[in-house]
Amino acid sequence: MKVKRFAMVLDSNKCIDCKACTVACKVENNVPVEEGNYRNWVSEGALRGKFPDLGQSFQPGQCMQCANTPCDHVCPTGATWVNKDGIVLVDDHKCIGCKYCMTACPYNARYYNETTGAVDKCTFCVQRIYKGRQPACVETCPTKVRVFGDLNDPESEVSKLLVKHAYRVEKPEMGTDPFLFYLI
Amino acid sequence: MTIAFSKKLSRRNFILASSCAIGAGSVAMMGHRYKALAASKEVFELNDAGSRDVFTSCGMCVNKCGVIARVRNGVIEKLDPNPNYIKSRGMLCARGNAGLDTVYSPDRLKYPMIRTGERGEGKFRRASWEEALDLVADKLEGLAEKYTRAGTVFVSTEGFQEHFFTTFAECYGSPNTLRHPTLCLASNIQGFGATYGTNPTPDVLNADYLIMSGANRSEALVTPDSIDMITGEGGKRKVVYLDPRFTKTAAKADEWYAIKPGTDLAFILAMTNVIVSENLHNRKFVDDMAVGFDELREHIGRYTPEWAEGECDIAAADIRRIAREFAAAAPRAVYYQGRRSSFFDNDTQMRRAMAILNVIVGNWDTKGGMVPGSKIALEKHDYLAPWYDGVPLRLDDGSATYLSNKDGSWKYFRDRVLEGKPYPVKGMMVYKQNPLVSVANRQKTLEMMKQMEFICTIDITMNDTATYSDVILPEATYLERQDPIESQGGILPVVTTRNKCIEPMYEAKPNLWIMQQLAKRLSDEIYASFDFTMEEYRHHQLKKRPDIAKALKKNGVFYEKTTPTYGTTTGKRLRTKSGKIEIYSEKYAEKGLDPLPVYTRPNTVPEGRYRMILGRNAYMTHGTTANNKYLQELVPENSLWLNIDEARKRGLKNGQMVKVKSSLATEHLRLFVTEKIRPDCVYMAHGFGVLTKGQRLLQGKPGSDAALIEDNVEPISGNIAMHQTFVKVDAA
Repeated sequence: MKVKRFAMVLDSNKCIDCKACTVACKVENNVPVEEGNYRNWVSEGALRGKFPDLGQSFQPGQCMQCANTPCDHVCPTGATWVNKDGIVLVDDHKCIGCKYCMTACPYNARYYNETTGAVDKCTFCVQRIYKGRQPACVETCPTKVRVFGDLNDPESEVSKLLVKHAYRVEKPEMGTDPFLFYLI
Repeated sequence: MTIAFSKKLSRRNFILASSCAIGAGSVAMMGHRYKALAASKEVFELNDAGSRDVFTSCGMCVNKCGVIARVRNGVIEKLDPNPNYIKSRGMLCARGNAGLDTVYSPDRLKYPMIRTGERGEGKFRRASWEEALDLVADKLEGLAEKYTRAGTVFVSTEGFQEHFFTTFAECYGSPNTLRHPTLCLASNIQGFGATYGTNPTPDVLNADYLIMSGANRSEALVTPDSIDMITGEGGKRKVVYLDPRFTKTAAKADEWYAIKPGTDLAFILAMTNVIVSENLHNRKFVDDMAVGFDELREHIGRYTPEWAEGECDIAAADIRRIAREFAAAAPRAVYYQGRRSSFFDNDTQMRRAMAILNVIVGNWDTKGGMVPGSKIALEKHDYLAPWYDGVPLRLDDGSATYLSNKDGSWKYFRDRVLEGKPYPVKGMMVYKQNPLVSVANRQKTLEMMKQMEFICTIDITMNDTATYSDVILPEATYLERQDPIESQGGILPVVTTRNKCIEPMYEAKPNLWIMQQLAKRLSDEIYASFDFTMEEYRHHQLKKRPDIAKALKKNGVFYEKTTPTYGTTTGKRLRTKSGKIEIYSEKYAEKGLDPLPVYTRPNTVPEGRYRMILGRNAYMTHGTTANNKYLQELVPENSLWLNIDEARKRGLKNGQMVKVKSSLATEHLRLFVTEKIRPDCVYMAHGFGVLTKGQRLLQGKPGSDAALIEDNVEPISGNIAMHQTFVKVDAA
């Protein structure tokens, strides 16, 4: 079995901040409601200009599925781990809820799930993707902002997008080597 | 449930994860690959025993997108988009994803209930279906005897089982059905219909130039337009957007103009002026296909861009440039007509002007233009309404110039109920509509309901209208019903199916069953029109189309084409008086209406007050979803948008509570100070400030727009005009 490198490429220019991804994720992954916790979200960029010359961008955010994982490094119990295909996961049986990982994550992508008693985060919908399904956020997105796939496969859409377009990652100065890529 | 572990992942984690496992249908598709992966022990093997996928149709708004529901052990676990559903481009929005809470909300109506306290007090007792239905039938008989069969109004809104409700009204013998269009798009249909003989669909995907005013497509989602305007042929399309607010559509548009509310007509007439005076119009098209261009040329001279600048706050130079760009891009250029058009009392004429602007550049029945919609025909269900003597015409007959006989006009109808003229209406049957939240001037609706001798509401939740009813009948939600096959017309017509995902919870019943039970109680003659099962009904609909039945089973949707067809009307008579596109409307002239759109200025905002404008966000559908837990988390409360300079001038701070006072009411809500709105306007969301105690998440969430907005009216279509109310805003 060939090792994959799962990644997501996002074209935020297409994002209309409809939050379909956010609700799809909540339902798919049983993220508790009414506690203000999310595995993914859409941020409104700062409003540019003065009325009536205004501009604003929207950007989906979530766990960046880093290759150099600050969350994993600080975890005292080995609850946070990385699978062979690059997906950062939390074993909630091992998680003691110390929240070091939440502090270490530069993207504020983790939350403490009161229901499971463990820290929770985006898993690229691991329960779907190994059956050939798309992550819930990707599948539901109206304007197809998000593309998910395997960067080890040069024929995958994600690989092709990163060849064709310029892109950036969030907070490169942190040295986390994220695998969410935002097209420029 | 059997679970094979990966080396590191715990059982506990995966019990949780597997509760969201995908349905059997997709697994079968991916079977080969899945087995290989599982055999390698590299991945997690999830058992999908007991899980099945059900093709159904979203019921969270009017779009009815295709859904695949994942159901396990009688519980719906997840709603996924149906990738085959071309009309919605295989997507599901936040509301569609939140549909689970429609079923599992603790605030659902669970049993039939009969009022015990005062109207609106919220005191009910549980009743059996038998008792509740007997009571409703008895009241309907009594009302008919006392006030004729027109003495009961049947209030409803769109849905796949609404048809049974309006059929029931007709069989009962009331001419008074009162539907939602005059709170929404009645003037739009009228304006475009008077011009084209139909309300065409804009081919957004293929348009190179799109002008949108009064249509916030990135928030007021309409499929496929909301998607196509973003995803079409990337980079080629220009979007010009007019809105007093900087909405999410404004953020996506190439150009945004903060137009003065109610002056879109000036902008459109000035664009028309430029195109006509510079001979940029499509001469051959207007000669061959339309009537009245010469009259337009004469009429339009006075509406110069310089004049329009003074009306709508958009620079003459911009209007001129946009007009030239529009004409150059034609016919792949659309002045988009939007959907809800209940803004101002000149709306029908404004929509006429939009239509005419599209006409003169030859934008009709062509790629990237306005395309007449089509519909896939299904077998109709015949029914025979009994004849009753002595039933008068509709209560609102003769009010609006072009009143829809089926829809009526909320404004005129309610006024006449309150006057008791020309006859009393004392009974009210409600299906799915929530007029206390959706109709402007809530106080009037309360008075209308107060003078009713009997009110019965069929709904799924204890909303305001249910709270003010005498009998409440719980309907099964859209995920618990099998509904008629639905043919959705448009530029890419589809046939959709809504299959039952789970059995109805509690004692909820589908509307068809409720109508059948009432019909039975009224007379054999009425019941004869309802004597069928849903299976039989659906079977009959597809009697001549086994291909559709097959496709619905396999894909959950049927369609004949994936790209629009153009030119279907070439050489054919249109459904207008002249048989051609009517720039000049002889029909309007005969009715004493302006045959060409004449500009009328909106009422001026008085000193110290603001114009209250309405709009949508992508997380709420009218007054129906504010109590949904997933969506409530996204919009936890209402707020009043006020321009930052105005707030500064008035010493008002972001986040403070303010009182908003119109001529009708005062509402308290939180202030949102922003650059995103014109200084002369304020805005709030729709769906908050409910009266009921039966919606848990809306308690203590003030801000009812229906209480504040005056019920002005657009007299040609009878549409309500909701942007003509001024409010005072003060610190609370």
